[in-house]
Amino acid sequence: MNLRISALEYAEGVQNGSISAEDFVAGTLEHIAKVDEKIHAFLSVYDGAVDRARDIDKKIRSGEKVGACCGMPISVKDNICIRGEKTTCASKMLEDYVSPYDATVISRLRDEDAVFVGKVNMDEFAMGLTTEFSAFGPSYNPWDTSLTPGGSSGGSAASVSAFECVASLGSDTGGSVRNPASFCSVVGYKPTYGLVSRYGLISYANSIEQIGPLARTVKDTAFLLDVIAGPDPHDNTTVKGGGRYLPGIESGIEGKKIGIVSEMTGEGTDPAVASATSDAISRLEGLGATCETVSLDMVKYSVAAYYTITATEAGSNLARYDNLRYGYDLGVEGYEFNSYVEKARSRFGPEVIRRMILGGFVPSAGHAGRYFLKALKIKSKLAREVGGAFEKFDLLLSPTVPMLPFEIGAKIDDPVSLFLVDINTVTANLTGRPAISVPFAVSGKRPIGMQLMADSMCDAELLQAAFALEQTVRLPEVPL
Amino acid sequence: MVTEDEIRHVSGLMRIKIDDYKEYIDKVNAMIAYFDILDSAGVESEEVSFHEMSVSDLRKDSHIPFDGSLIDQLKHYKGAYVRAPKMSR
Amino acid sequence: MIKIGLEIHCQLTNLESKLLCTCKADYRGFGTNENICPVCMGLPGSLPRLNREAVKNAMMIAMALNCTVPEKIAFFRKNYFYPDLPKNFQITQLNIYGPTSVGGPGYVMLGKKKIGLLRIQLEEDPGRIIYEGTSKNMVTLVDYNRAGTPLVEIVTEPDFESPRQIREFVNILSDLFENLGVADPSLEGAMRADANISIHGGKRVEIKNIGSFHDLEKAAHFEITRQESLHSRDMEIAQETRHWDDQRKITTSSRSKEEALDYRYFLEGDIPWVRVEQDLMDELRSEMPESISSKRGRYVSELGVPDQVADVLSSDKFYSDLFEKSQTGSNAKEIANLITTDLMGLVDTREKRTASKVTATHLRDLADSILAGRISRSSAKDALYEMVKSGKDLDQVVSEMDLGNVSDESEIEKVVLAVVAKEPLAVEQAREDPKALNYLVGKVMKITRGKADPQITMSLVKKAINV
Repeated sequence: MNLRISALEYAEGVQNGSISAEDFVAGTLEHIAKVDEKIHAFLSVYDGAVDRARDIDKKIRSGEKVGACCGMPISVKDNICIRGEKTTCASKMLEDYVSPYDATVISRLRDEDAVFVGKVNMDEFAMGLTTEFSAFGPSYNPWDTSLTPGGSSGGSAASVSAFECVASLGSDTGGSVRNPASFCSVVGYKPTYGLVSRYGLISYANSIEQIGPLARTVKDTAFLLDVIAGPDPHDNTTVKGGGRYLPGIESGIEGKKIGIVSEMTGEGTDPAVASATSDAISRLEGLGATCETVSLDMVKYSVAAYYTITATEAGSNLARYDNLRYGYDLGVEGYEFNSYVEKARSRFGPEVIRRMILGGFVPSAGHAGRYFLKALKIKSKLAREVGGAFEKFDLLLSPTVPMLPFEIGAKIDDPVSLFLVDINTVTANLTGRPAISVPFAVSGKRPIGMQLMADSMCDAELLQAAFALEQTVRLPEVPL
Repeated sequence: MVTEDEIRHVSGLMRIKIDDYKEYIDKVNAMIAYFDILDSAGVESEEVSFHEMSVSDLRKDSHIPFDGSLIDQLKHYKGAYVRAPKMSR
Repeated sequence: MIKIGLEIHCQLTNLESKLLCTCKADYRGFGTNENICPVCMGLPGSLPRLNREAVKNAMMIAMALNCTVPEKIAFFRKNYFYPDLPKNFQITQLNIYGPTSVGGPGYVMLGKKKIGLLRIQLEEDPGRIIYEGTSKNMVTLVDYNRAGTPLVEIVTEPDFESPRQIREFVNILSDLFENLGVADPSLEGAMRADANISIHGGKRVEIKNIGSFHDLEKAAHFEITRQESLHSRDMEIAQETRHWDDQRKITTSSRSKEEALDYRYFLEGDIPWVRVEQDLMDELRSEMPESISSKRGRYVSELGVPDQVADVLSSDKFYSDLFEKSQTGSNAKEIANLITTDLMGLVDTREKRTASKVTATHLRDLADSILAGRISRSSAKDALYEMVKSGKDLDQVVSEMDLGNVSDESEIEKVVLAVVAKEPLAVEQAREDPKALNYLVGKVMKITRGKADPQITMSLVKKAINV
C-alpha cells in the first residue's frame, strides 16, 4: 500500500475504486505502529478507525453517496475535542479527561466521512514551539530525529511528514501550525481569525488563535479548509463571508504585488534561510509578481506583546482546571478549597507554570498599565500598519521561521531565545490575518518553509499564491 | 525585577503551589525583562480596537438541553452533586 | 446620618435559556445538576454564546431606569477561584474602555428623593453551594443548575438614608421588573442584594448574601442598629465584609482571611463587542411596555379612576393587564373598584393568582351589570368569588346562586311592609329625618340578601311610611 499520496489523490482513488479505504487506513495504522516509536507523534491511536473505513468501502460498493473525505485518515492535535475520546492537551492535568462532545471541526470532518486515526502530541496546552513541553515526552522530526519537529502542533506536522496520516488538524496561536509545518516540510495554514470555529478547541489565547490544517500539498490544505471553515452558531467569533478555497486555486499570481517584510528577513536570519528567501522572491517574480521591501515598525515589539497577551489569557483560560468537575483522581477529603486546588494544579508542567505566573503578573492591578494595556495598544497599531501594507500589497512574504530546525534540547532552558523563534509568525495572529507556510527548501536534512500572509478574508487569494509558489519547487522525499 | 515574594504572591493568586520559588525567579525575570521593550514602542496614544458583532447576530433565546446526562460523565458524589473541598467560611 | 448603597441582583427568569448557553434560564424544578451542558460547566473547549433576548431585556431595564445605553456593549472576565464558578472566572461587565456596560448612570425617584444609579450590568449567576452534615464533618456540594442564569446587577450610589427608603426602592424595582415582563420577583432567590452601610461618616461595612428583598430591609435595619450601638459606646466600627445569616436574621463578620483581591479584569475575547444599532433602540422603545407612572396618570386623567385606586392598580402588572383588557371606558371606574376592593382580597397569593379562573370578560360583564342595576355590589362580590373559583360566566353564576336583583315590586313590597311593621321606632325617626330611611332600606336588603333593587326599595319604603 502506497501511503505517500496526497489527500486529493486518496479521495480520487477511493472514488474510482483503485484504493480501498479499509486497506489504506489499516496500512496507515500498521505504519504508525512501526514508525511512531521513533517519531512519537501520537498520544492515542484509534484502532477502530479500520471499522469506520470499512463502512465507507461498503457505502461505495452499494452506490451510496460518501462524503468528500472518503474515509481519509486524519490525525488531530490533542487540544481538539472528540466525543468519547481522551483529550489531554499533553498535560498530566487532563491525563484522564474524556470529552463529552465533538468540536465543530470534528463534526464537519465526520459529516464528510473523514476517519480519525488518533490524537497527536503538542506542547502542554500549546505553550511552546518544539513539542518538548509535552508532559508525555517530545516528538521527533521525521527528517532527522535529533531535531525538534517544531511546535506546538509538532505531533500534527510530524504525523503528516511521516505518512502516519494524510492530513492533520493543529491550532495556531502564534505560529503553532506554521512553525512545525516549516520544520517538517509540510504545508501549514492559519486562517483569518473567525473563519474556522474554535468550539471544542481547548483555549490557550482565545482572542488570537485558530484551528488550521496541516497537509502535504497546498491543494489538500484548501480542500480541508473547504470542509472545516464557515460560521458556527457555537462560536460567536466566527465570521460570515468566507468562500470556497479549492476551486480557482490554480489562478496564478501574475500582476500581484508582494511585500517583503524587512523586520522578518534581516538581522538574526540564518544564511541558509536568507538565501532560500531570495530564491523564493525571484521565483515569484518569475511567475509575474512584483516584489518590494516593506517595513512594519511594530514587528519589533510583536513578540513581547504576543507573550503578554497570551500569558494573560492563558492564566484565565487555565483557571478552570481545579480538578473538581473533571480531571484526575485526587480525593478532596481533608483539604481546604484553596490548598486542594493548589495541590491539584501542581500537575501542570514547568512551562505552563511559568506562563501562568506571567499571566498573573502582567494584567494585575499594579502592572496592567505597563504590560497588558501596552500590549493591546501594540496589537492595535500593528494591525493598522499591516492594514496599511495591504493597501499597497496583495501579499506579504517572509521565511516562516528565521532559523533552521534545531536540536531537541538546544533552547529549552532559554525562554527568551525561544521567544525569538516566533518573530515572523505572531504578526498574523495579533492582526487576525491568514498566513501559510509552504515547504520551500531543505538545507542538509533541515527543511525551510516560506510564509505568505494576506489581508483578512483573502484566504482564497492566499492559497492561490501558495499553490503557485509550491509549483516552483521540487523537494527531496523525507528520509524515513 | 520580580522578587521571590512577588512570585509567591502571584503563584498564590493563580493557585499554583511551587516547591522551589528560586527555580522560577530567573526564568520569569528574564521573560519580564524582555517585556520592557514594550516601553519603547511609543504607543501611549494608540486606541485599543476589538472585534464587533451586531445584536441581530446573537443567539436566539431558546431552550435546547444537552443530549444525554452530562453529570454522569463528570466527577460526581452521591449520584448528582459535584463535591468540593471544605470551604473556610 | 446613614448612608447606604445597594447592589441588586435580579435574575431574568422569564427568558427561555441561560445567558451563554441553551440550558434553561429558570433552573427551578430540575433535579441536581440536570440543567447543565459543556458551556455552563466550563468544560475544556466550550465557548459562550450570548443570548440576544438577555441583552435586550437588560437594555430595557436600563432604559426604564433612566440609564444611558452605550453604543457598544462589552463583556469582561472577573477572575477568582470559587467552587460555584465552573470556569473560575465570571463573565460580567465593566467600563474599563469607556462606557460598555449595558446601562450607564441613571436614577429612580422615591417621591422627591432621588436615588442615583451608577451602572447596570449583565452577567452570569454562579452555581449553588450546599453544605451537608455537621460542622465537624461538613461536606461541600455544588449544584450547577443555576450557573449561567442571566443576572442583571444594578449598582446604586450610597443615597439611601433609611431602611424604609430601601423598601420603597425595591418595591418600585419589583413592580418595574414585572411590568417589563423580564422577571418574576416572587421566585425564591430571583432577587438578591449586597449593601454598603455607614453611619455618621464612619467606616463602610459591606453586607453580602442577602437572599431576598424582604430580608434586605431587615439586614439594613439590623446593621444600622449594630453600628449605632457601637457608636454610642464610642467603640470602633471596623471596615469589613459581613454576611447576612438568614436563619438568625443577623449579620455576622466573615472570618475568612481577606485575601488581597485582584480580579485581573480583562476583555472576554470569546464575545465580540456588541453594536447597539439605532434600529434596535427604536425597536426596544416601541416594544417597551408603558411605564407604571404613565399608566397611573392615564387611569386618573382619561378613565376617571381615583388617585389612590389608580396607584394600586398601575403598580401591579397582573391587575393592570386585567383592568386594561376588561374596561371599555364608561365602566372603568367600576372595574377598578371591583379589582382593588374585591379581587385583590380573593387572590392575594401567587398560588391563588395562578389558580384563578377570572377573565377580563367576567369583570366587564359584572361591572356592566352593576351599572345597569341588574346586580347589587354585594352580590357582585359573591359572583366574583365563584368566577375566580370555577370560571363560570356571569349568567350561569347568577342563576345558580340566585344573585340577580329582585325588581318585582309586589315581592319587594311584602318585605317592605314586614320591616315597617317590625320597626316602629325607626319608622318614626325616618319620618323626621330622611337619612334614617337608609336603615329601613338596609333591613330590606338584608332580608333579600342584597338582591332587592335599591331604587325600587327606596320608593316603596317612602310610600309605606308616607314620606
